[in-house]
Amino acid sequence: MINIHKWFGTVHALNGVDFTVNRGEVVGLVGDNGAGKSTLIKILSGVYPPDMGEIYFEGRKVRFRSPADARKLGIETVYQDQALAPNLSIVRNIFMGREITASFGFLDLKKMSGEARKAIETLGLRVRSPLEPVAILSGGERQGVAIARALYFKAKLVILDEPTAALSIKETQKVLDFVRLLKKEGVSVIFITHNLYHVYEVADRFVVLFRGMKVADVLKEQTSIEELACYITTGKAAA
Amino acid sequence: MESKRSLMLRLPPEVYSLIILIGLLTIFTIFSNYRFLSYENLRALGRLLPDLGVVALGVAMLMIAGEFDLSISSQIPLCSYVMITLLKSGFGEILSLLVVLGVGAVLGFINAVITIRGRIPSFITTLGTMLLWRGVVYVWSGMMPIPLRPYLPETSILALVFVSEVFGVPVQIIWFAAVAIVLGLILHRHRFGNWVYATGDNELAAKEMGINTALTKTICFMTVGILAALVSVLQLYRIESFAATQGIGFEFRAIAACVIGGISLRGGSGSVIGAILGIIAMQTIDTGLILMGVPVFGVSAFIGIVIVVFGLLVTRAGRKFVS
Repeated sequence: MINIHKWFGTVHALNGVDFTVNRGEVVGLVGDNGAGKSTLIKILSGVYPPDMGEIYFEGRKVRFRSPADARKLGIETVYQDQALAPNLSIVRNIFMGREITASFGFLDLKKMSGEARKAIETLGLRVRSPLEPVAILSGGERQGVAIARALYFKAKLVILDEPTAALSIKETQKVLDFVRLLKKEGVSVIFITHNLYHVYEVADRFVVLFRGMKVADVLKEQTSIEELACYITTGKAAA
Repeated sequence: MESKRSLMLRLPPEVYSLIILIGLLTIFTIFSNYRFLSYENLRALGRLLPDLGVVALGVAMLMIAGEFDLSISSQIPLCSYVMITLLKSGFGEILSLLVVLGVGAVLGFINAVITIRGRIPSFITTLGTMLLWRGVVYVWSGMMPIPLRPYLPETSILALVFVSEVFGVPVQIIWFAAVAIVLGLILHRHRFGNWVYATGDNELAAKEMGINTALTKTICFMTVGILAALVSVLQLYRIESFAATQGIGFEFRAIAACVIGGISLRGGSGSVIGAILGIIAMQTIDTGLILMGVPVFGVSAFIGIVIVVFGLLVTRAGRKFVS
């Protein structure tokens, strides 16, 4: 993403942001509330168009008219509340909108069930049956299902929006393991969070946004949590 | 974690609906000296049940998608009036039927457009259209009942199709079974059914995954409209008369049947089997109380109590099942 600008009314939500993610890389996108993280990834996943600036994917310039366009290229987003339907089974959630059908649009339940099982096993998730409603799963397991879905549909870039918010320590570790697995599979990840400690474990690089501008873009080896925290709260390196 | 998943809490709501239904059947059978289970009564039940049942199945699907339709109670007399007017004007039975089904589809479409485009809760939209269409029917028909016989051809195809008996079984119940099977297959075994559930359970997630929730809801509203039109013709041929008061109370009875059947008012859960159980339960209460000699007004009070009690039980069961 090059020179991205976005205005909401008179609010300059994103001010000339350049943002890159490399293949198989985990990037921690951090910043305080209102810094512009959500807006940036919404532009990347096709929810809004940028007011200025360009997006290139795998070397080619792209313009998204809807989330479906982004999804077709392999960009999948996992939002906190907008990922899964709790009353539906794991199978039906994984194939939501992309159901496997036999003739006349009737579901191939057996195939869907089998594929769903494979998808969640790839992530190391253990469930009693893929026919169970998602509501029975813990928070970390639900994130796992959403991530398994992205992986199954051959996502090249997975955007995780606050994946560890409201999760227990044990559940958080599960989610971080999923992120490591994604990286192993060669999938790029953008990990958005407030919690530096969580993302520090798994990220290769950090991008800090401060009031709509990018103030830092550093490899993990070149920085520390304290320095990042300073960028987040003041927009500058340690004073 | 394991204790939370004990057997008691994992029973689907439909099991409770079945238990309630069996309880009702038992009570009414005993209190009516077994008249309830007589062939005459069951046959009467079979003839009457589809009036509510056919449209309630559509309402069930709509509720699973997260919306309500209160206007069915007015769509029924309106479609009935259109049907009899067409017959009076000399149009053929089949053609008239097709036109009326089309009218039903349009009424459903209107509900959908107002709700979706106007971003108004469907409860409000359909409350409005319910009052609107009933007013239209009252004015247009002048509240006069109209007999059907004079306008039927010599050999009425529709009378055969809608009011006869097949091997002692009222044909209406066959229609109900047919609608139940079709809707059941679509809801539970078709891709569209998954869209309906997803739309009702988490509309944002459904949209995010590329499901056209507006189209899904529109189809559900139109299905209710078409089924209401079908019911209006079924009723017209059975009663052999148009009455402007047809359909009164159907809106709540249909929703009540669905609630008894375990369909959540919040959308996203429920099944056709549950809806069928709830419909049978509703009809059982109606017929059973009449058989027991309860005055008509008492029936309403009873249904009111039943709805609250069952609603509590079943919704609680549903919540426990899911959490």
